Amino acid sequence: MYRFCLLALLVISAPASAHEYWLSTNTWRCVPGDSVVVRAMVGTGFRGELKPYTPKRVVRFTFEGTRSLDLLPVGVNGESVWARVTPADALGAVVCYESNGTFIELPPAEFDRYLALEGLAAPLAARARLGASAPPGRELYRRSCKAWIRGSDAARITRAYGLPLELVPDVDPCSSTRVGMRVLYEGKPLAGALVRAWRRPASAAESDSIGPSSSARTDASGRVTLSLSGEGRWLVSTVHMVRSPDPKLADWQSTWASLTFRR
Amino acid sequence: MKRLLVLLLLVASPAWAHDAPYSFLNLRFAPGGTTGILTAHVADLAHELPSVAPESLLAPSRASALAPRLFALLASRLAIVGDGDTLRLSFVSAAPDSERNGIAFTFAAAGPPLPSEVSIEARLFPYDPQHETYVNAYVVDSLRNQDLVDARHPRVAFTTGAAPSFWTVVRRFVAAGVHHIFIGPDHILFVIGLLLLGGSLGRLLKIVTGFTVAHSITLALATLGLVTAPARVIEPLIALSIVFIGIDNLRALRRGAGAPDRRAWLAFLFGFVHGFGFASVLREFGLPSQALGVALFAFNVGVEIGQATIVLATAPLIAWVRSASSSAGRRVAFAGSLVVGVAGLFWFAQRTFGL
Repeated sequence: MYRFCLLALLVISAPASAHEYWLSTNTWRCVPGDSVVVRAMVGTGFRGELKPYTPKRVVRFTFEGTRSLDLLPVGVNGESVWARVTPADALGAVVCYESNGTFIELPPAEFDRYLALEGLAAPLAARARLGASAPPGRELYRRSCKAWIRGSDAARITRAYGLPLELVPDVDPCSSTRVGMRVLYEGKPLAGALVRAWRRPASAAESDSIGPSSSARTDASGRVTLSLSGEGRWLVSTVHMVRSPDPKLADWQSTWASLTFRR
Repeated sequence: MKRLLVLLLLVASPAWAHDAPYSFLNLRFAPGGTTGILTAHVADLAHELPSVAPESLLAPSRASALAPRLFALLASRLAIVGDGDTLRLSFVSAAPDSERNGIAFTFAAAGPPLPSEVSIEARLFPYDPQHETYVNAYVVDSLRNQDLVDARHPRVAFTTGAAPSFWTVVRRFVAAGVHHIFIGPDHILFVIGLLLLGGSLGRLLKIVTGFTVAHSITLALATLGLVTAPARVIEPLIALSIVFIGIDNLRALRRGAGAPDRRAWLAFLFGFVHGFGFASVLREFGLPSQALGVALFAFNVGVEIGQATIVLATAPLIAWVRSASSSAGRRVAFAGSLVVGVAGLFWFAQRTFGL
């Protein structure tokens, strides 16, 4: 009962800010000659709003197919369509996006609730040690997203693309119901990260809020296995927070990784 | 537990009904004038209008009726400056933008028709610290600048590529010249040091003219790239010139009235060094290649205005003290020269050894 109340309180009183951030495409099959329209969504519970493109935030925006295409100059500031790209083969492609840091400051209690909601145990514990003197949450957050346009070569999704925080499946996530993944932070395995997966059935409206259908923490070697059963669009995400490398800018730096695909 | 989380997320979803607050500003600069379209989300707009439901603003009649009032509010939080002039924004029309869930306000911006330098400052919805405004600036039909403003970075500045007008260059670089003199205590003390011993109007004019001629020469040569001198050499030399003036004044005071007055020559000699210092500042301002000569001239005029202001404020005061009491005049000159010399020494040590 206590856990129920705590969780209810956490979710209902969570900050009215968008957490998850994912790439969305008009097609999830890699077909040579087809136009793949890339957009980004921001929201919670796999229910999001379109996020306009801005080159000001982009560190990396690429289409990894036959070769790596730089999409940064393609988009127009403020447009909801981030890029249109045509695959050259049917082997599959990964759209990669990495943003620079955006600052946010939350009051202490709100920041702690958000840390609890996202399962960020280490920063929460560090703040708990400060007790009532814990300062407001000064945070720089950045995005690290991938979208898998399914093709015949699973190697295109099972390899790492060098994003700061990255979910790297062991197999094509569209082809298996139990999918092992590596979580890499700055290229190294990340232990203890909470990984969650959401499924949006084809019947679900965009405005529906969907709860996570699977979640688990990575083991000591940064591995996690998720149960991904059912058709529809999938969002797998995780977040990692560390002390900010520049305390003048912020106290914390979070990196939000997502992987989207359709089964 | 998972089911519980699903349930709670569903229950809590209305809390995120308007997660992503954005507005969009598209500006078009053309020889015929500047126009713009500002699109704001209905949720943000409704926040400004108590008792108005956000979705009701998507009805064209409702949007049209409230648009002038809303635009006036937004325009008061938006400053577009072209070549130093704030553009006056006037409402033209408004229409719902269903894709962006907002109202698109079309407006005209009266001011310089095709400014060279533009700055935009926007705090459209101060109630929301996360609000972002996407700014696109077109010159005729070419996208010239893409930017983002928010509460932490509310201002953007860019150039349109248009040639700046003569008066724009003059205004900017005269101000830069004056500003540089007044923020640089080394130049101020150098000039004051030259004036401390007093003298006739003709003598003071010689001193000031000598300094002006010399620094104008090196300023022009260095700005045009004909002569170069590294700042790590010039900056300590400027400090040494101040020390030298202080010491020379003290020596002249010790020798008494019969001592030769070398100040005009010293001002001329050290003026060459100070000119290099002015040139490095001028380069930092970003010289307009289309108006290099005008910028150089205007900056020099600004420096002279700053210098003349110091002379006009200091020389009469020194002359008054000297006329009231020659011994008081000597004491003021002695103390002033000491301060000038010590300050110069401090700057020399600071610039040479990084103290």
